[in-house]
Amino acid sequence: MKRHLRLFALYFAQYTKVRLAYKGDFLIAFFSSMVATVLGFGFVWVLFSKIPKLQGWSFYEILFLYAFSITPLGLFNVVSWNLYEFGEQYIIQAKFDRVLLRPVSTLFQVLFERFRLESFQEVVTGLGVIYICIIKLNLKWHVSDAMWFAVMVVCGFLIYLSVFLSLTAVSFWFEDRVGIVPPVFNMLTFGRYPLTIYNDFIQFMLSWIVPFGFASFYPTTHFLGRQSFRTYFYLTPLVAIAFFTLAVAVWNRGVLNYSSTGS
Amino acid sequence: MPPIIDVKDLCKDFRTFRRREGVWGAVQNLFVRDRITVRAVDRVSFSIERGEMVGYIGANGAGKSTTIKMLTGILVPTSGRIIANGFVPYRDRRKYTKELGVVFGQRTQLWWDIAVVESFKLLKEIYEISDHDYRQRLGVFSEILSVKDYLYTPVRKLSLGERMRCDLAAALLHNPPLLFLDEPTIGLDVVAKDHIREFLKEVNRVSRTTVLLTTHDLSDIEELCSRIIIIDRGKTLFDGQLADMKARHARYNQVKFLLKDRSQVGRLGEVTNDGVSCNRLDELTYVMRFDRAKHSTAEVIRSLVNRLEVKDIFVEEEPIEEIVKRIYITGGLSA
Repeated sequence: MKRHLRLFALYFAQYTKVRLAYKGDFLIAFFSSMVATVLGFGFVWVLFSKIPKLQGWSFYEILFLYAFSITPLGLFNVVSWNLYEFGEQYIIQAKFDRVLLRPVSTLFQVLFERFRLESFQEVVTGLGVIYICIIKLNLKWHVSDAMWFAVMVVCGFLIYLSVFLSLTAVSFWFEDRVGIVPPVFNMLTFGRYPLTIYNDFIQFMLSWIVPFGFASFYPTTHFLGRQSFRTYFYLTPLVAIAFFTLAVAVWNRGVLNYSSTGS
Repeated sequence: MPPIIDVKDLCKDFRTFRRREGVWGAVQNLFVRDRITVRAVDRVSFSIERGEMVGYIGANGAGKSTTIKMLTGILVPTSGRIIANGFVPYRDRRKYTKELGVVFGQRTQLWWDIAVVESFKLLKEIYEISDHDYRQRLGVFSEILSVKDYLYTPVRKLSLGERMRCDLAAALLHNPPLLFLDEPTIGLDVVAKDHIREFLKEVNRVSRTTVLLTTHDLSDIEELCSRIIIIDRGKTLFDGQLADMKARHARYNQVKFLLKDRSQVGRLGEVTNDGVSCNRLDELTYVMRFDRAKHSTAEVIRSLVNRLEVKDIFVEEEPIEEIVKRIYITGGLSA
């Protein structure tokens, strides 16, 4: 564990150095990421200039939910770069050979060889907006709330990671680029609004199949003082751990199925 | 002491499906797939002792790389057993690779964008090399591989020869007892090749590192290995000492000679009789090739000097390429 932390720090420092060597490139990426985030919040604002409430949720409550959904997602975006290009880069071009030759966990290497540094901006923006919402909604937070908040952000991160890791691991069995990632990616946006506005089927899907609800909606209800989903709130860490364990198992099974191409 | 590599009945199948051609074929592919199983490695067995340098050779697609990939733990065997350095490679991957060096001539193991020395520093952490050992080994490699000159260059800017040296240094930084090299001299010029061969000999001599290498350049084998294993279509055709292979499979000897002057050329026909062929190398240099079973070298030379005026004579063994080619063609049966 200690060795992996050291390695993480080294990988991160090394990559940051390379990335910042191309300053212009990084600034453009940072700027466009920022614009995308601001536009997302702008959409919520436009929506609420037309309607006063959404199923009993006020503007700042929805804003809190939206900001909570992008905070763990930002963390996930930082490390998920290689997951998107995994099939192409690591399987078809057989870069995974090199990963297997090093005495370090394969998952560690794939996640931490590249970082989408500009996505840290999403985390900071998300936290900032949540802070504003706490003040505007006059929420009384204790230290324990802040701690739970941190736990929930980590759980959200693990849930996003688990879902996309499982999908990425499919590349170990099907060499052809699988078209399943983009639709699931689009499902992320469902988590930005109260789950109760959807029909039962979608609610079930977002809770137990692709549990994005646990990464944003259920934690948020608790922080906003809504009691109807208390059990779900406390279930969140279990769901995160269960899905993560499952994803790692699928990944490890996939690694054994890896068939390196070419000579 | 048990052998450092012990391979028994190793097999690897690849399952794939036949793709139909054209647009209609692509549509059919969506619904019906003809599965085919290709056996890339077929019941290969061998064992290698500590400190040996073994050449693993075969034509393209013979199963060399597949074997190496199973030995390094990249691929899981379909059946059979590998014990290497006391580990089952794919199962004990992390413990095994910690004591393993691998170089693929075709692609680098280093990080593409960062300076060579930064890659080395990462490897130092990955393999948990002590400061003392790291400095000492880096010093040695800088010296004999002359990597010193480009330690601060990013890998992507290195020439193939420079990159190869860095890859070798990287693979040996943790002083592994076992080293796999897959075509380590591919695409290199004569000087670079020589450099790398000398380095490998040195490493083998000093650290008793066991080396298994695949190559298409058989002069690598003659320079480095006393033992070779020949594989074709997934099966072992020959496994033994290089000298044994020559003794058992060499069929021809060669006598190269230099004529005294051009007037002798017209009389060449007199020395070529049954089983003795004669080929021109340049204006006055010719080479006679004959079956060792039918003619003795002495007899051939005698008839040559009796009939022609010759300035120089060199007796040569059949080139190893020719012998290996014959083993491929006959499937190793021409004893």
